[in-house]
Amino acid sequence: MPTLRDITGILEDAWTRLDEGADAPAGPAIYPFPGDVAGNDPALTGIHIANDVDPESVVPMFDRVSLISVAFPAFTDGRGFSIGRRLREAGYTGRLRATGPVLADQFRYLLECGFDEVEVPDALAARQPQEQWERAADAVTLNYQRGYAGRRNILEARREARGV
Amino acid sequence: MYSYDEFDERFVRERVAQFRDQVARRLDGSLTEEEFRPLRLMNGLYLQLHAYMLRIAIPYGSMNGRQMRMLGTIAEKWDRGYGHFTTRQNIQFNWPKLKDIPDILDALADVGMHAIQTSGNCIRNTTSDPFSGVATDEIEDPRATCELIRQWSSLHPEFTFLGRKFKIAVTGASSDRAAIRVHDIGIEIVKNEAGETGYRILVGGGLGRTPMIGKELRAFLPREELLPYLEACLRVYNMHGRRDNKYKARIKILVHELGIDTYREHVEAEYARIDRSNTAADMAEFARIAEQFAPPAYPELPEQSAIFERALKAHPDFAHWVEQNGFAHRVPGFMAVTVSLKPVGGAPGDATSEQLRVLAEAAEQYSMDELRITHEQNVVLPNVKKDELFALWTLLKSQGLDAPNKGLVTDIIACPGLDYCALATARSIPVAQEISKRFSDPARMADIGPLAIKISGCINACGHHHVGHIGILGLDKAGVESYQITLGGDPANDASLGERTGPGFSYDQVPGVIETLVETYLGLREPRETFLQTYRRVGMAPFKEALYADAA
Amino acid sequence: MARAFRPVVLTANDLVEGDVVWWTGAVWSRDVSDAEVFDTPEAAEAAEAALNTPEHAACTVGIVRVEVEMRDGAPFPTLRREQIRAERRPTFDYLPTSKVSEAA
Repeated sequence: MPTLRDITGILEDAWTRLDEGADAPAGPAIYPFPGDVAGNDPALTGIHIANDVDPESVVPMFDRVSLISVAFPAFTDGRGFSIGRRLREAGYTGRLRATGPVLADQFRYLLECGFDEVEVPDALAARQPQEQWERAADAVTLNYQRGYAGRRNILEARREARGV
Repeated sequence: MYSYDEFDERFVRERVAQFRDQVARRLDGSLTEEEFRPLRLMNGLYLQLHAYMLRIAIPYGSMNGRQMRMLGTIAEKWDRGYGHFTTRQNIQFNWPKLKDIPDILDALADVGMHAIQTSGNCIRNTTSDPFSGVATDEIEDPRATCELIRQWSSLHPEFTFLGRKFKIAVTGASSDRAAIRVHDIGIEIVKNEAGETGYRILVGGGLGRTPMIGKELRAFLPREELLPYLEACLRVYNMHGRRDNKYKARIKILVHELGIDTYREHVEAEYARIDRSNTAADMAEFARIAEQFAPPAYPELPEQSAIFERALKAHPDFAHWVEQNGFAHRVPGFMAVTVSLKPVGGAPGDATSEQLRVLAEAAEQYSMDELRITHEQNVVLPNVKKDELFALWTLLKSQGLDAPNKGLVTDIIACPGLDYCALATARSIPVAQEISKRFSDPARMADIGPLAIKISGCINACGHHHVGHIGILGLDKAGVESYQITLGGDPANDASLGERTGPGFSYDQVPGVIETLVETYLGLREPRETFLQTYRRVGMAPFKEALYADAA
Repeated sequence: MARAFRPVVLTANDLVEGDVVWWTGAVWSRDVSDAEVFDTPEAAEAAEAALNTPEHAACTVGIVRVEVEMRDGAPFPTLRREQIRAERRPTFDYLPTSKVSEAA
């Protein structure tokens, strides 16, 4: 079983991943993109996208799903960061999941790019226990980039200090 | 000079603590080497042939005496008493131990320095004109823009795991001394017709395996739009740049494959989607940074200095050094000078801890506490009173820092090469040393005139050989070092890439080959014509003939 | 035609110090002349496989084979790159004068 976590800690994964063309189960299920999800209950519907999918093509599905999972095939392949950011900028407000062998050291960046949760394979989770993810999330508490959620923004802090 | 505020300081300290933790997690097995490697690289730490190598950022090449002195201390305390200035305004230490790196980083933080993003597939140290702030042809000091980019690019949540490294250079002058045309993004500070200051943006330049000259992406970008626009450029690259082949992963390949017009359309579409007001730095922030680069309080001095004139007459060596290494300053009575780190037979760009300390002292006493590092691997003292130039020269001379060869045949750029570098295929530094010894006669050097020899020890081109007037590329041919020669490259405004002369030469042949090329030029040149001008006029044929005639 | 097999040794860098190290058959040595020489591809493969353990990954980086020839009865690399590694220093006088005696 892969490990799912968000900023609050390790989570039970209520979602079932479906293969292409598989029958829908009773509970919440993640369909491979583009997925035939018309008529589904959005609350029970998620999709999984590869990291070469154009985020624009996912926009029409925003109100049909409550979870989008983005593939990170390797921790060094950072396309998913931009995809997360783009989905949020396009107005997606549901749950956003990063799926793949990402490192604890990338947790903060994922959160900042709009991800809520991270699903990592077992072997990696075993080497990097929860305590390391918690530490990594708070390792650097400031950022310089405006418009990314999470850390205290240095430019805003300076603006406040100027009394604007 | 920019100094850290409380936020910059805390940010860098937290990054050091984070790296200390990453080292500990590598040692306890939480991180595999495969996972640790990209993490250490993006904090400047390589594992080279003999040892770890730590590359420290000198943002836009600008530093003060205290910082330079700390580099000397680091060299002595944690390394073997010397450092190596690189072709991207960084300094490298060749022998640190992994366990000492966090302490070195803390020592750097004490003087407002770091090693963040000096390697790895992320946005690297932003480089600039070493004469920024003092050059007579400057529209605006580019360092405020550089510092804005430095901050924005530091630990960027979205752009820290790019397909490949990403290098940005900025110039504020009409003469390009920052090689912006061979960077992933080159930025030129310009004025539009309305007289507003903004940016001309070039993209897709670079050296390496596939050298390319950058193309114009935007003729004029208003200042306040810089960060959101860069974000659009980077996002298109991050999402569309190739990931299947490391050698085709730089943005120059994306721009080349799409064509500049299509890349521009992607960027403009992305830019239209970005919430600019929520991304840009406000102009008060830019002003806060720019204020720190305000010119120092220059005393009013006459343009002529009697002390200086007397010293010129009395000391021909000094006069020669001023003539060769001096650079006109925009303020009367001042001069900028290049301290050459290319003594005859030396390792290009190397400086001992004692030399680093003398440079610190020179900056504090004679250059209003400012130093610059150049991409030619030299040091500039930008603010020297003519009255004090002779005293400065005397100090520099005491440490062998008085080589009067800026821009001459012995001012050779060389990467570390196979003597240090894990990627290298051939040696660079000893080749540079042998060439330098051949041309050690000052009169001959002066007669040859401006000539940029640039040596890379592998195809990655850290020695910028593509843009050398004479470029030397060291390769491995079945276990033997072999050197390809290119002619006619140049990184400045009319940038050009060198052309190959033909088959390569052995290690031992290279100095003789350079002699032949130089002799050929001397035989062909017209009055006051430089090597590059002669080459551009006569072309490859006579040089090729001279090199290969015997073999044919 | 495949190139004839030449004797090899196994080398890496020390994780903590970064130094070049050579496998002696029992420990990692700083001196190439201590290295165990493998005369057949099978012997080299077996030794490599035996070193592919978490214990060795915890103290070394990048274990690779290097071709050697015998010089005065001891192995020495055939390639320039590995010769430079084995010498543990650049091929030119790289140290500041004040440091030469310390490093010797």
